Amino acid sequence: MYNFEFSKPSTVADAVAALASEDAQALGGGQTLLPTMKQRLAQPETLVSLTGIDELKGVCQGDNGAVVVGGATTHATVAADAAALYPALAALASHIGDPQVRNRGTIGGSLANNDPAACYPAAALGSGATITTNKRDIAADDYFQGMFTTALEEGEIITSVSFPVPEAANYQKFVQPASRFAMVGIFVAKYSDGVRVAVTGASEDGVYRWSEAEAALSSNFSASALSDLSVSSDGMITDLHATAAYRAHLVKVMTGRAVAAAS
Amino acid sequence: MDKFGKAQPVKRVEDVRFLTGQGRYSDDIAPENALYGYFLRSQVAHADITTLDTSDAAEMDGVVAIFTADDLNKAGVTGDCSGAAVTNRDGTKGAKPRRPTLAEGRVRFVGETIALIVATNLNAARDAAEMIEVDFDERPVHLGQKPGGTAIHDEAPNNQAFDWGLGDEAATNAAFDAAAHTVSLEVEDNRVIATSMEARAVWAEPVEGRLHVNISGQGVWNPKSAIAKYLNMSKDDVRVTNPDVGGGFGMKAMTYPEDLAIAFAARTLGQPVRWFAERGESMMSDNAGRDLVSLAEFAFDADHKITAYRLKTHCNLGAYNSGFAQFIQTELFSKVLTGTYDVPAGYMNVVGTYTNTTPVDAYRGAGRPEAIYVLERLIDHAARELGVDPWDLRRKNFIRPDAFPYTTVTEQPYDVGEFAKVLARVEAECDKAGFPARKAEAAKRGKLLGQGLCYYIESILGAPDETTRVVFENGGAKLFVGTQSNGQGHETVFASFLSDHTGIPMERIELVQGDSDAIPSGGGTGGSRSVTVQNTATLANVDKMIEGFTAFLAELEGASATDISFDDERFRIPGSNLTPTMLEVADLAREHGRDDLLDVSATIKLDNRSFPNGAHVAEVEIDPETGVTEVVRYTVTDDFGNLINPMLVEGQIHGGVAQGIGQAITEHVVFDEDGQLLTASFMDYGLPRADNMPMIDFTTEGTPSLYNPMGMKGCGEAGTVGALAAVSNATLDALSEVGVTRVDMPFTPLRVWEMIQNAKADAAA
Ligand SMILES: Cc1cc2nc3c(=O)[nH]c(=O)nc-3n(C[C@H](O)[C@H](O)[C@H](O)COP(=O)(O)OP(=O)(O)OC[C@H]3O[C@@H](n4cnc5c(N)ncnc54)[C@H](O)[C@@H]3O)c2cc1C
Repeated sequence: MYNFEFSKPSTVADAVAALASEDAQALGGGQTLLPTMKQRLAQPETLVSLTGIDELKGVCQGDNGAVVVGGATTHATVAADAAALYPALAALASHIGDPQVRNRGTIGGSLANNDPAACYPAAALGSGATITTNKRDIAADDYFQGMFTTALEEGEIITSVSFPVPEAANYQKFVQPASRFAMVGIFVAKYSDGVRVAVTGASEDGVYRWSEAEAALSSNFSASALSDLSVSSDGMITDLHATAAYRAHLVKVMTGRAVAAAS
Repeated sequence: MDKFGKAQPVKRVEDVRFLTGQGRYSDDIAPENALYGYFLRSQVAHADITTLDTSDAAEMDGVVAIFTADDLNKAGVTGDCSGAAVTNRDGTKGAKPRRPTLAEGRVRFVGETIALIVATNLNAARDAAEMIEVDFDERPVHLGQKPGGTAIHDEAPNNQAFDWGLGDEAATNAAFDAAAHTVSLEVEDNRVIATSMEARAVWAEPVEGRLHVNISGQGVWNPKSAIAKYLNMSKDDVRVTNPDVGGGFGMKAMTYPEDLAIAFAARTLGQPVRWFAERGESMMSDNAGRDLVSLAEFAFDADHKITAYRLKTHCNLGAYNSGFAQFIQTELFSKVLTGTYDVPAGYMNVVGTYTNTTPVDAYRGAGRPEAIYVLERLIDHAARELGVDPWDLRRKNFIRPDAFPYTTVTEQPYDVGEFAKVLARVEAECDKAGFPARKAEAAKRGKLLGQGLCYYIESILGAPDETTRVVFENGGAKLFVGTQSNGQGHETVFASFLSDHTGIPMERIELVQGDSDAIPSGGGTGGSRSVTVQNTATLANVDKMIEGFTAFLAELEGASATDISFDDERFRIPGSNLTPTMLEVADLAREHGRDDLLDVSATIKLDNRSFPNGAHVAEVEIDPETGVTEVVRYTVTDDFGNLINPMLVEGQIHGGVAQGIGQAITEHVVFDEDGQLLTASFMDYGLPRADNMPMIDFTTEGTPSLYNPMGMKGCGEAGTVGALAAVSNATLDALSEVGVTRVDMPFTPLRVWEMIQNAKADAAA
C-alpha cells in the first residue's frame, strides 16, 4: 500500500466536496478497494470514507412500495432488513462473500465497481432498479456499461438504490469454486408487466439482460418455457474456471433453476 | 497400568492459546528493532538478467542495504541450497545444478529471488524494490512433467534430472509376458500448493558473536547445519529456533533461499532482520506438491491373482532440486509401491524433469499418497476390465495375515496386517449394502451417486532416532523433545504420555521444543514420525529415571534396589513408610546433592517404522447438468495399532482427508504457457472449505505394530494417502453411468462437465 490521506465526512455534501480534490476516491467497505491498494494496483491520494454518513445507511420502503437501500448500507444489513420486504434481494446479499465481507462491503461500492462477477448488479438490473446519486437518478438499464464501467461520473456518489418489488423473484448463484464470486449468477424477477432476467458473471460485457428468456417467461413463467432457447457462447468469458461454452450452458441451466425456485 | 498404548482422549492444552490469539508465531516475536527484508522476485519464468541496477533504490529513504548475488560473492558466501540427488539406473548421479540464494544472472521460475532489500520499514523496502532497474532477456520455457525443450540447466541438457529404477525388471517383464490378463492405466496426480495457514517466516539476530535464526519450520537442526555451512560459521555459533508454527505439511521442512539470505543480511549488517511471506509470495515460492503422471500396469493369472506390477512415472521437480525433491517420487514412493497386495514381481522407473515452475518437494505423505493413488486407481480399473467386483479383487490379492512378516518387492519389511478384517469393518460402517438405495434416491433428484474404495498402506518415515530429555526443576519437570509441533498437539500428547508413565501431573510438565541450544539433536516433524519416535525415547528415559531414583532410594533407605518398585505413580519400598512420587524423589535427590539424577536424557533408534493401513470409502454426488461434484459420505476404518490419544488421531484423519478432498476436487494449480502462475491467490486457487467436507465416520481396527514398544502406527499423513483414490474411484463410479471412462483430478465443475460432454460426444460419434 502507498500512503494516502484519509477523511471521514458526516454529510453527503462534505463527501462530494472532499471528492473534488485531485485523485480522491470514495471508500465504502473497502472490500474491493483496499485489497487493490495493498497490492499497489491503486494509488489514490485521498480516501473519502462514506461510512460515517448516516443518511447513506439503511433499508426502507418508499411511498411507491419500492425497497430503498442507502448507498453505504452493508450487505449484512440488507440481508437482515430487506428479508421481509424483498426476500430474493436479501437472500442475494446474504450469500456475498463471508461474514467479514458482508459486514463491511456496501451496495454502493459493489454497484460502483461493477465487477463482472458481482451479485448486486444482477439484482439491480433484474429488478429494473433506480440508482440515485448526489446528482441524479439513473435507471439500471442505463447504468451498467460493461465490465467495471458504469454511468457514474468522476466523484459522483451513489446515495441510494431503489428496487421495485416483484411478485416473485429468485437469484441463483453458481459459484466460482475458488473465489466464490458468481461464475454465473441469474436474477429472475416477475412483475405484473413482464419478467426480467439479468445475467452476471458470464459476459465479457458485464451484467446483461437475457431478452429471449424474458419474452418466453413473460408468456409462460415456468422453466419449461426455456427449453427451446439456446445461449450462444459468443462474448462469454473464458477463464481458468469456465469456458465460454460452459458459461453459456450454465446461463440456461441456472435460469431454469431460478424460475423453478422463484417465490 | 498399561505401559504400551494407553488410549486417552486428552484435550489439547495448546488450543486455548491458539484459539484466543495467544499463539506466538515467528513474525509475532521478531526483535523490536529488526529491519524489514523484502525480496525482489522474478516476474518471468526463464530469462537472462541483462540489467540489475540497485543504485537508485539504495539511495531511498529508509533503505539500509540491498543485496544481490554479487554481494554474496564479494563476502565469500558461495554456497547454494540445492537438494540432494538420487542415483540413476545407470549408476551415475542425478543432476545437481546450483540453486543460488539470489539469482546469478539468470532466473528460472516466476517468484525466484533476485535481490534482498533491507529497510527500516516494509513500505520503504517495497518502494525500493520498485526502483531497482532489472531487465530480462527471455528464454523459451519448459513446462509439464516430461523431459524435452530448451535446457534450464547445463547439467540437464534435455531437462531430465534423473532416471531412477527399483525392482526386478526382468522378472516383471517375464510375468507380463506370461500373464493371462494385463491392464494398464495412465494416471495424473495434480500439483497442489501447500498453503499453510501461517506463511513462511524467518528472522535472524546477531547475539554476542553468534547468530540466532528463528524460522517457521519443521525442526531446527537441519537449518542450523545449512546456515552454518552457508555462512562459513561454526555450528556452535548458530542457534535456530522454531516458535509456534501454523502448519508445515512438509513444505516447511526444507531450507529455502530466503532463510539463508535473511541470515546473511543479519550477520552482515550486525542487526536483526525479519521477513514474513505475503500470501501471493508464498503461493509462488513455497515448494509445491505432487505433479506427476504415471503409467501403471498389472499382470494377472487366470484366477485374477496379481503376478506383477510395472510402473513408469514422470515427475515435475520445478526449476531446481529442492532439499528432498528427487527422493519423493522415487524412494519414498517405492516404500508402498505394491500396497497391501501380494505381488511377486514389480518394477518402477521414475524420470524427474526440470521445468520453469516453482520447485516441488514433500507435501503431506510425500510419495506415499502418490503411490497409493496410482495403485488404487489401477486395481479399480482392473476390476472393471476383468468384470469383477473391485472389493473382491482386493480381497483376493491382499497379503494374508499368515504371510507376515512379509517383504515386499521393494524390500519393505511389513510386520503385521489384517487387511481383510479392516475391509469387512469398513464395509459395515459405510453401509455398503445401503448404497443401491442411496443411489436410487439420488437419481430421483437427477444426481449421479458413486462409491469408491481405497485400501491404503503407509510407511512411517523421517529420522528413525530421537532423544527425550527430562529436567526436574521448580517442582515440576521440563520435557525436551527433538520433534517439532506444527499444530498437531505435541504439547498435549508428549506431556500426557510422560505424565501417564511417571505420575507427574500434566500441569507440572513444560514441553520444550524447537531450540537447538536447549536440545542437542532431533528429527523435527515429518513422515508421521513424531509420536512413535518421541514416545519411545520417553519410555527409555522413564526407565532411566526409575533406575536412577530406585538406586538412590535404595541407598537412602538401606533397601535393596530390586525390592523397590514404581507403579507409574509412587515408589514402594518394602519396610518403609516412604511412598514418594517421582517429583518427591527428585526433591530428595536435590537435597542430597544428587543433581546428576535431575537431568536425564535417553536416545533411541527404531530399526523399523510402522505400516499404518486402512480403508477409505467415499460417496460422491454429481450434478450431471453442471458438473458440480460433492463428497457426501465418507467412512474411514484405520489400523493404527494401539492408539495413544484417539481424539488427536481422529483430528489428524480429518485434516488429512480435507487435504485429500481438496486435491481431488478444488485445488488446481495452473501455469500459463509462459510459466506464469495463474492461481496465485485465493481468488483462483480453490482451497477446500468447511462446506466441501462431509462428516467423517472414523473407526479403528488395530493390530499392534511389532516395531515399537507402544504397538502404535503413525497417523499424520494417512488421511491424505487414503482420500485421493477413494474420491476419484467414487467419481468414476458415478460418471461411468454417463459413459465416462477416464477421470483425472481435480474434479472441478468445469472439468467434470467437460468429461460428461466428451463422453456424450463419443457416444454420439
Ligand atoms: C473475500 C471476498 C469475497 C467476495 N465475494 C463476493 C461475492 O460473492 N459477490 C459479490 O458481489 N461481491 C463479492 N465481494 C465484493 C464485495 O461485495 C465488495 O464489498 C464490493 O464489491 C465493494 O463494496 P465496498 O463497499 O467494499 O467498496 P470499496 O471497496 O470501498 O469500493 C469499491 C469501489 O466503489 C467506489 N465506491 C464505494 N462506495 C461508493 C458509493 N457509495 N458511490 C460511488 N462509488 C463508491 C470506490 O471508490 C471504489 O472504486 C467479495 C469481496 C471479498 C473481499
